[in-house]
Amino acid sequence: MASSLHTLSIAEAGARLRAGTLTSTALTRASLERIGALDGGLDSFVLVTTERALADAAAADAELKAGIDKGPMHGIPYGLKDIYDTAAIRTTCHSKLRVDNVPQADSVVAARLKDGGGVLLGKLATHEFAIGGPSFDLPFPPARNPWNRDHIPGGSSSGSGAAVAAGFCRMAMGSDTGGSIRGPAAYCGVVGLKPTYGLVSRRGVFPLSYTLDHCGPLARTVEDCALTMQVITAHDPQDPASADVPVPEFTRGLDWGVHGVKIAVPRHFYAQAEGASPEIIAAIDTAAQTWAKLGATVEEITLPDYDLFNACGRIILNAEAYAIHEQDLQTRPLDYARMTHARLVMGGFLSSADLVQAFRLRRELADALNATLARFDAVITASSLSQAPRFSDYRDGYPVAWPVQTMPFNVTGHPAMSVPTGFSTEGLPLSLQIVGRPFDEPMVLRIGAALERALGLADRWPELAPDAAAKAAAS
Amino acid sequence: MPDDDLKQELDAAAQKAGLTIPPERHDAILVSYKDLKRMTALIRQPRAAAAEPSNVYSLVPRR
Repeated sequence: MASSLHTLSIAEAGARLRAGTLTSTALTRASLERIGALDGGLDSFVLVTTERALADAAAADAELKAGIDKGPMHGIPYGLKDIYDTAAIRTTCHSKLRVDNVPQADSVVAARLKDGGGVLLGKLATHEFAIGGPSFDLPFPPARNPWNRDHIPGGSSSGSGAAVAAGFCRMAMGSDTGGSIRGPAAYCGVVGLKPTYGLVSRRGVFPLSYTLDHCGPLARTVEDCALTMQVITAHDPQDPASADVPVPEFTRGLDWGVHGVKIAVPRHFYAQAEGASPEIIAAIDTAAQTWAKLGATVEEITLPDYDLFNACGRIILNAEAYAIHEQDLQTRPLDYARMTHARLVMGGFLSSADLVQAFRLRRELADALNATLARFDAVITASSLSQAPRFSDYRDGYPVAWPVQTMPFNVTGHPAMSVPTGFSTEGLPLSLQIVGRPFDEPMVLRIGAALERALGLADRWPELAPDAAAKAAAS
Repeated sequence: MPDDDLKQELDAAAQKAGLTIPPERHDAILVSYKDLKRMTALIRQPRAAAAEPSNVYSLVPRR
């Protein structure tokens, strides 16, 4: 375990691959060795695709040697949340209901990463069907937080957050219906980007809620998120939500700073919320001051009450998810984990009027946010009101009071990115989220990159116990 | 609403939806149901009839 290759970003590793000072095979073997040595204590992977990874890596090495460059992910190992279909590779949704499911075709994102020369390391733990967790009554254990394995890594892209934070891969794909990219990013101290609704194809990703689902990356750095977006973004005529818009140059502006950028802060969203951690609030205040020192204009504003956004999103999610699972909930309820089942059945108790009222409110809330973003380049708020909770904070099967504040931007569809802001006194990551105008990911990334540079947190890594030691500590 | 009444309401709603709630999962689902009712009340606000939902769509072809 002497290798420090895991500390290389996508950009840094890519430069070495192209310079011929590093091979994808060496990079991939280092990842596989690190997973083998350390993931037993974290359970971030539900399947490691060793043969596929080494074959992908060998192909990338041959291509790069021949002068063929397929883009920023060429030769770079990555992971996929286990709701992304992968041809001939098991895709379980972390559920007993799909534990033997082997798709015939890749999801669009998996195909684009494959076509871009990426190296698939395996499939990552998720909350069951991207909704129920943390649960221990499933075919696979829940992923744990690399900064402290007694704490959750967030969800539902739990394995994605944990794997990136642990240095198993530089990037992992997640999905975000109410915060499932940004929550794990926040709790694991990595960057997580929920793109604008419709920017990245959802085809081949098991749906949770059709009008709230987003696919996006979790990565060590803002730049690595931008590089990934360049590979996975494309109009998909077969995804009904896919936006036919020009693909921006996502890395453009990362080094421009924030001079003249206008940032709005709805402080009431998080500072007045029950259970808000003073450390989270202080870290956001510090970030706002940092941007101001760098030349941005930062102004406090008000938005509609957070509870309205949350209720609107929860009702839509419940209704749409229930429609997907209705038959299985009626015929085989005990095959779902207790927590998944408790959440999914809620949609069966809603009326048609409930859903239409939620859709009417959704328009009003999107209009309110768009009015704010007509005057500002971005909105800053908390990703979560607290550091990662402990597993012991959850009572199996009972509703989870997630302290994340991410649902508003699933409701409105705006791009939102969680970035680290520091660490709590307990040594767990703190974060905030940056929300931009629709399809203005470059501005969100630019603001995040400026903060990342100023805070200099990307070089801090969790201390991981080897597999045997972690298991001994747990027993 | 008293919990017994809420429980009866949940049981009726489950029956209407064709759902069987296993007894050992009932208490947890009742807690979620109470929260669901809070949210459905919260989203009902004064609105004009012309306030259309977000998913009204256009038949103009995309480029």
